[in-house]
Order: sequence, then C-alpha cells, then structure tokens
Amino acid sequence: MDNILSLLEGFATALQPQYLIFGFIGVLVGTAVGVLPGIGPAMTVALLLPLTYTLDPTAALITFAGIYYGGMYGGSTTSILLNTPGESASIVTALEGNKMAKLGRGAAALATAAIGSFVAGTIATLGLTMLAPVIAAWAVNLAPADYVALMVVAFITVGALLGSSVWRGLTSLGIGLFLGLVGTEILSGQQRYTFGLLPLADGIDVVLVAVGLFAVGETLYVASRMRHGPVALVPVTRGWRSWMTKDDWRRSWKPWLRGTAIGFPIGTIPAGGADVATFLSYASEKKLSKHKDQFGRGAIEGVAGPEAANNAAAAGVLVPLLTLGLPTTATAAIILSAFQSYGIQPGPQLFTNQPALVWALIASLYIGNVMLLILNLPLVGIWVKLLQIPRPYLYAGILTFAVLGAYAVNFAVADIIILLCVGVLGYFLRRYGYPIAPLVIGLILGPMAEAQLRRALQLSQGDLTALFLSPFAAVCYIALILIIALGLWLRRRQSRLERTLAAAAAADTSLSAAVNQAWDPGSRPTDVKTSDIRVLPPAEQPSKRKNPKK
Amino acid sequence: MSTPSTGAAGTNPARPSAGAEPAEASAPRSKLGEYIFAGLALALGIFVFVGAFAIRLPTSGTQVGPRVFPFMVGTILVISAAMVIIDIARGKLGDLEEGEDVDTHAKTDWITLAKIVAFVVAFIALLEIIGWPFAAAILFGGVAWSLGAKRWWVALLVGLALGFVVYIVFGGLLGLSLPPGPLLTWLDPLLQTLRG
Repeated sequence: MDNILSLLEGFATALQPQYLIFGFIGVLVGTAVGVLPGIGPAMTVALLLPLTYTLDPTAALITFAGIYYGGMYGGSTTSILLNTPGESASIVTALEGNKMAKLGRGAAALATAAIGSFVAGTIATLGLTMLAPVIAAWAVNLAPADYVALMVVAFITVGALLGSSVWRGLTSLGIGLFLGLVGTEILSGQQRYTFGLLPLADGIDVVLVAVGLFAVGETLYVASRMRHGPVALVPVTRGWRSWMTKDDWRRSWKPWLRGTAIGFPIGTIPAGGADVATFLSYASEKKLSKHKDQFGRGAIEGVAGPEAANNAAAAGVLVPLLTLGLPTTATAAIILSAFQSYGIQPGPQLFTNQPALVWALIASLYIGNVMLLILNLPLVGIWVKLLQIPRPYLYAGILTFAVLGAYAVNFAVADIIILLCVGVLGYFLRRYGYPIAPLVIGLILGPMAEAQLRRALQLSQGDLTALFLSPFAAVCYIALILIIALGLWLRRRQSRLERTLAAAAAADTSLSAAVNQAWDPGSRPTDVKTSDIRVLPPAEQPSKRKNPKK
Repeated sequence: MSTPSTGAAGTNPARPSAGAEPAEASAPRSKLGEYIFAGLALALGIFVFVGAFAIRLPTSGTQVGPRVFPFMVGTILVISAAMVIIDIARGKLGDLEEGEDVDTHAKTDWITLAKIVAFVVAFIALLEIIGWPFAAAILFGGVAWSLGAKRWWVALLVGLALGFVVYIVFGGLLGLSLPPGPLLTWLDPLLQTLRG
C-alpha cells in the first residue's frame, strides 16, 4: 500500500510540466540516438552529463531515463529498415524484421516492435515498482563482504559473458579497473599511477572515458573501414491504417508476454544483459510457433518476442542499479555515475533517503513508455529521415559533440587530450575484438569495490575467509559459478543460432556461402583434408576430379 | 530454414573447435597487431603490479593498505592478457566489432584515421586561440571531408553553423563558458543579456 502511495506521489512530481518536458526531451533524444548508427544511450548519457550540471537532479535523471528507454525503441527501427547488418545483439530482429520489410510488411514489423516494447516496458516497470522496494528493504542489512561478493559477481559475469572471448572480456575489465585506480587514493591521500601529471590527480573522469570509448573510438573505427555508397533503406509502404492485421495481433500478443517474462528476470541478474534475453526469446518463439517455416523469412513472432524481451531486460537492469547500486550494463554504469555526480549513491538507502526522487524517476518510466509509443508509431517517417543523414556529416557531428562534452567537464584542453587517447584505445579494443562494456563497468565499479573490500577486511581484522563465510556472500559465489556455466552454455547456443541465421541469409546468394557461414574452416563437410589425400594409392592420383573416399 | 543446406546447418552445426584454425576466413589479418595489443595489456598488468610496490603504506597499522587492490588488478590483467596471447597463438583471433556502417571485409584505412586524429589535434591546439565556433567548424569540416563528404566547403559551412548554434545554445542558455576567441568577444555581452 505504501508503495502505491509513493508511486502516486511520484506521478504527481513527474507530471509537472517542466518534468514532462525533460522526459519528452529524453525520449526524443533517446529514440534519435537509438535510430542513428554509431551512437547509443551509454554515450549520449555520458555526453549530456557535464551539460546538465545546471539542472536539478530529478530533471536530469528523468531525462537520462528517457534516453535509456528511448534508445531501446529506436534500435529496432534501424535494424528493421536499414539494409546492412548491425551488431549481433539485434541480429534476430534485423533478420526477421528486415525480411518482413522487404516483403512489404515493414509497417507491421515496426508496429509489433513498438507495441511489444510498450507492453514489455510497462509490465517490466510494474515489476520494478513491486520488486525494488522489497529488495531495497532486504539489502539494508548487507555487510561490506556481501557487497564485495555482489561486485565480484558483476565483474566476472560482465567480463566473461560479454563479447566473443572470456579472456578478452577480462582484459578489458582489467584495463577499466586500472583506469579506476588512477588518481588520489582516498584514505592515505597519495597519488597512484598519475605519473605526477596534474590532470590525472583527480582521477580520469568517467565522462572522458565513456565519451572517448563510445564516440571517438566508434568514429575512428567506422572511419577505418567505412561502408561506402548510399545508405540502403527498405522503403515502408504508406497507409498506416493497415499497421497490423487481426492475424498479426493474434500472432504477436503471446510473444510479447513471453518475451517480457524472459527478459525481465534476465535483466535483473547480472548475466550478460539484453543479448541473452533477446536470443532466448527468439529461440523459444521459434520452438513454439505454428509457423516454423516462416522463421528466417520474416516471421512476426521473431520480431515481437525479442523486442519485448529486449525492453523488459532494460527495465530489469534498473532493479539491481537502484536497489544495490550495482550496474550490469555500460549504460547502467553511466547512469550510476550520473547519480554520483549529484551526490546521490544508489543502493538500499536510496528508497529511504531520496524517496521523492526515486519514485518520480519510476513514474517517469511509465510516462516515457506512453510517450515512446506515440513517438514511434505515427512519427516513424521522421526517424527514417534521420537514418538518411550522410555518414560523413553524422560522424563529424558525433566527434564535435564529443569534444564539446569533454571540454565541458572542467573547461580544460587537457581533457580533450585524454579524450583522444581514450578514443584511440577504444579504436584498438574494437579492432581486436575486446568488448567495451567491461571496461566501463570496471572503471565505475572498481573504486567502489576497493572501498568495500577494505572495509570488509577491516571488520574481519584481515581475515580473508570472512569474505566467503557470510551466508549471502557464499550464495553469491555459488550462483556465480552457476551463472557462468549457464552463460557459457547459452552463448555457445547463441553463436550456433547466429551462424544458422547468417547461413540462412547467405543461402539466398549461394550454397557455398551458406556452408562457409555455418561451419568453421576445417570442419566443413565440403573440406578435403590433406591427410585424406595422402592415403590414396598412387595409382588413383591422376584422376583429380574424384573425391577422396576415406 | 528454406534450403536443405541450412537445415543441415541447424541440426548439425560444427562447434567452434578448440582453436587450431583461423577464425576469420574471408578477411585474412596479420596476427602482429593482435600480439602487440595483448602484449601491451600484459605489460600494463606487470606495470600495475610492480608499481603497487611504490605506493606508500600508511604508518598506522591498518590491515588492508592501498596496495592490495592494485595487486589484484595487476594479477587480473597479467593472467587474462597472457591467456589472450595463448589464444592468438592457437589461431583464435578476436572478432571484429560489427556495426551498421562498418564493412568488416574492408581493409583498415590508416590515411583517413590519421587525418581525423590530426584534425582533433588541430582542434586541441586552436580551441583557445581562435575560439569555439571556428575551431568546431574546422573540426567538423575536416572530419566530414576526411570521411568523404563531397564538397568540403559545404561541410565547413555546416560546421560553422553548428559551432555557432552550440555556442549560443549551450554557452548562452545553459551557462557553459566556451572560449569565444578574439573575433567574437563582442558576442558575450549579448549572451549575458539573453540569459537575463
């Protein structure tokens, strides 16, 4: 009952005209950056951080929440309408949605994605409303050792489960932890790893790292291997009356609900974020569908389910962020540092110390979802226009805003130099397949983990076993092992599925291309091994056209 | 799932085996860069670990000093970078990051990269001399030109317009004091009045 009352008060705050405007700006900017390739919500929130220091925290956080949700909506538009493959997280939507668009059913694909996102976002926000206060009330009793355990879980799952290789993820995490070490140590007041350089004495600002990695790094990476030629968009037929037929509704509503049920829990636990949820939803829809033959050729369930799962996971991520102060994605980590820049620490005390702020934030999520539905359904034409911005101008603009954001942190040119260095690092991380998110999380969570670790060991008088003996911490470490085993298994299945999907796409052009996609070189059924050739008797050698039998 | 070949791929896909074969067949890349990057990460790990010894311990005998966490970070970096190097030696190269505007089969265009970095460096050098609007125009125009904008002067003009809009909106309304440069010092009093 208390919660409902608090939520109503939150609505009373969030519905004030100025907060409505900030919420609207947030979802507008969020959708725009979601639609535009090359920039995402993490970078946008980081970029806006220094520019919003003059706002009051509620307004700024409502804006950031709008960007976070908006980015999720916008991404689906891109993958449905843009005729080039995007990142692997959206590959399932891209495949089914893009195929639907090519069949002239783009409007239905966009509609089922938008309505599914709305349904999932609303239900998941409801879940957040119910769950968050309960978890926060329970988490008040957590000891420093328990927080250490939680952070270890977050580090390892994010590091090991994001990206293509466990060790590359952990390397990225290590670099982030190192960047977090740079600066003045709190307790003894001495500088660590600053090389005596004054700009490094206060540590490397999160804004510089995030904007450098995401904006500058991405621009450099795209510049190094840009897809030239005109932007290939699938045209969407006009006539919004026929968004979704009765049949489309009938086939969509169950995947929406199932996607929500899959996405929200996965979002709340640190298990690799929305990618896993999207993939699981796609796999289950494919298994349950009556139209299995349509999968890979534009099945509406393959858009509805994963898009819902994606958005539900995004809301789920907010549960550990708000109640434990534990970010599990790069965007959540940036939002955490946004809280900190206003002197607010997310965690169990947030609901008791800042009830007005946190409930206004949650209320704004409901409002933002409604706004997004309105923005996305009838206004999709505007977003399509945005997709057609010539790429040289788009990336030049991203870079210009990046240096603006970096300069605005301290109004120091030295910060732009740091930005450029981090950007070059970001370029090489992308080039050599190191995931970016573990670095961001390491940077933001690292100093907090160090503080909790030292506090825990202070309490136990240096006894290391205390870190593992508290019941909650022990549960965490056992769960960690389970999550990693499950996560690695899921990822193997995911990469298998992605290969199959890519093979299906390649099969449109040629059979051998499909074979190349589905198997690694060396294990293809069409491969001829040199050892096989050697065992042939010399008499048969001249007949080159025959395949080796054994 | 239309053709028999993909059906076979769905039911009996080869697992990415333990290594041994190069992961990238279509775009052969040299391992050298991978080795250098992983090697640098390894060196960073050793540096973090060794550098931790240089951190002074507070004289009062607290159990956990400021060295412990750096030791752990150094260890994580050394172990994971070493494992990445082993992976590379086994032929397991990193996957190129994918993106809508990225052609993963293209060769790295070092010249464009150098141009963009040069324009950012020029921006850093010029910002406080010629002011934000003009420096932003040079950065925007230069980067757009490097990326293949057809008419460089259009890019420059768009950049100039963007620079001024940002200067007025963020400098004037949100109170960010961006450097005006010698040509625009007269603009600031106007912005002051605009802010009220």
